[in-house]
Amino acid sequence: MSASAGRVLRPLRSVLVVWLLALGGCAGGQPESEVVTLVFKYARILGRADPLPALLRSFEAAHPGIRVKGEALPWTSDDQHQFYVINLEGRSPGFDVMMLDCIWVPEFARAGWLTDLTTHLRPDELAPHFPSAVAAATYGGRVWALPWTMNVGLLYYRTDLLAKHGLRPPETYEELVDQVRRIRIAERDPALDGYLWQGKQYEGLVVNVLEALWANGARVLAEDGSVFPEPARAADALRFLRGLIETGVSPAWTTAADEELSRRAFGDGHAIFLRNWPYAMELFETADSAVRGKVAVVSLPGRARGERGVGSTGGAHLGVSRRSRHPELAVALARHLASEPAQRAIALGAALSPTRQALYHDPELVRAHPEMPRLHAFALAGRPRPVTPYYLLISSTVQPEFSAALVGVKPPERAIADARARLSYFLGAIR
Amino acid sequence: MLLLAPTVLALAALTVYPGVWVLWLSLQHRIPIFEVSRFAGLDNYAFLAVDPRFLNAGRATAIFTVASVALEVVLGLTAALAIHAQRGGRRLALSFLLLAWAMPAVVTAKLFEWLYHPTAGLINVALGARSLNWLGDPGLALPAVVLADVWRTMPFVAVLCYARLLAIPAELYEAAQVDGAGRLATLTRITLPMLGRILLVAVLFRTLDALRAFDIMFVLTGGGPAGMTETLTVYAYRALFQTLQLGFGSALSVVVFLLVMAVAWAYLKFLRAGTTVAA
Repeated sequence: MSASAGRVLRPLRSVLVVWLLALGGCAGGQPESEVVTLVFKYARILGRADPLPALLRSFEAAHPGIRVKGEALPWTSDDQHQFYVINLEGRSPGFDVMMLDCIWVPEFARAGWLTDLTTHLRPDELAPHFPSAVAAATYGGRVWALPWTMNVGLLYYRTDLLAKHGLRPPETYEELVDQVRRIRIAERDPALDGYLWQGKQYEGLVVNVLEALWANGARVLAEDGSVFPEPARAADALRFLRGLIETGVSPAWTTAADEELSRRAFGDGHAIFLRNWPYAMELFETADSAVRGKVAVVSLPGRARGERGVGSTGGAHLGVSRRSRHPELAVALARHLASEPAQRAIALGAALSPTRQALYHDPELVRAHPEMPRLHAFALAGRPRPVTPYYLLISSTVQPEFSAALVGVKPPERAIADARARLSYFLGAIR
Repeated sequence: MLLLAPTVLALAALTVYPGVWVLWLSLQHRIPIFEVSRFAGLDNYAFLAVDPRFLNAGRATAIFTVASVALEVVLGLTAALAIHAQRGGRRLALSFLLLAWAMPAVVTAKLFEWLYHPTAGLINVALGARSLNWLGDPGLALPAVVLADVWRTMPFVAVLCYARLLAIPAELYEAAQVDGAGRLATLTRITLPMLGRILLVAVLFRTLDALRAFDIMFVLTGGGPAGMTETLTVYAYRALFQTLQLGFGSALSVVVFLLVMAVAWAYLKFLRAGTTVAA
């Protein structure tokens, strides 16, 4: 018996010894390096040039003895969220500063994963940023992240087509529908689509439906925490969106469209109107673009006899991990990256808009992006998605319901009622 | 006995412990990041029993499994017979076939995403004016996902069948020829019966894989439109990893586990019955 036990245990023991030696070797290497390393997690930025490496080097230059490592996040938003959740719930100290989608900030703050920045900031330090971006970084009256990049839903339209038919950009969806009809009848081009937007079952669909709800005076979440406080108006907004597809104002494939699918179709010159984020503008103006010089943006339409249209805001924030070993330095790095010079560099190098309002009238930036001053007004009027720790739960619950109403397998009233019932079970379990 | 200990320990640590833990979680309201942790009894299961999204996911899983496995077996068998009948170039044909199988599901999904592209996709360009809304139509999305999966996994069935075909003794065919059996009779009386066992094994593997399918629909449609392509595993992923409802998500996983076990058990029983008859 004991002999066989020994036979089993001996190799195990030697494995253990090797393992411990290896561990000791790692630990032994640490004291020699006095250099403090900060890790910044971010998604690689697309654009003419990634401005981030230079920004990280300039922080190092200002803080001798500190090294900053930029580490790439997974590609999709879902994967990024999952990466953070696993590491932060597992109390990993593997990173100090993190780029966050603004919809995650309340959730991460509620979970206790973020450093409370309120006391680190000067009283008026966030005043230069868009109020909606600051609102998205605030939870329970405390500030948990620094606004970094700004996004807002916009209506792109073909200036050449509207001018040719003597039309002004629409202020209401009803006008937009009418203009689509008139232009398509006159153009007689079967390949010309009317209004493109994002109707695939994903986060972008929630953004598009929210904009339609707001224009119709409906909300997903009320201040008191109730969901769909105006169910009839919400259903009516969904019915309107479904109508766009049924009547051919929007192509049938809208129900499979995300930002890039719709952006490409519009960029190929196959549509009159497009709802998208500001990043698309630069891509429409490239030298090989089919719509170069024929595109302009306005605020999203409202509804006739309804409210003015507003775009949903989005963007990225910078948070500091509660597990950071160097919280003071990490806050300094986040501030450096969210500073005015850094946001200017990012706006110049990549197609990302700043959260600092003054930059929209900065001469250097306006020269590079002439539409910036107008973009400022749209972003200022923009409205954030519900700022709640349960945002992801709400979004993933309503996505299939919204999609079911859009493709016509569920009446809008049913979709809203079903979404409410599911949310009350899930949110009831939390509260 | 003692020599068995490492196996038992490993099994206990890797299978039994997590299994029991998931079962325990499924009886709770548990969302760690919101400090929710309280006993829920059968609440989660009761909710699932009347949850339309769950029933819909079950339906999507069933249709996906039956359709993709059936197509894979028919096409795989056909491909194996065709390669077997070929005089030359068998190895080349086999390599081409295996190419699709060797590709990761995510890559296949991305490839088909482009094929199904509504305006620029190869399929719709070929269809011209009759182009279809592949991934956005509630009636077409699931068939589109099935098609992508069949393309990817049909070679698995084909290779298994082909290997068995090579092992059928040539004397059998010669004897059949002597007896004056035609092509059809040879196929139905000799080839197919000889392939029976391997086909059952292929169907077992493919069914268990299809029941747990995740990546192909997750990348292609994300479960849409209207949740038409949301399988049970995609639903469980959303609950467990996206919204971190560990209790509810565990209840979902337990149901998926029981379902897969039941199907596997039924198959194995069927297989064993076949063995005793053959013996």
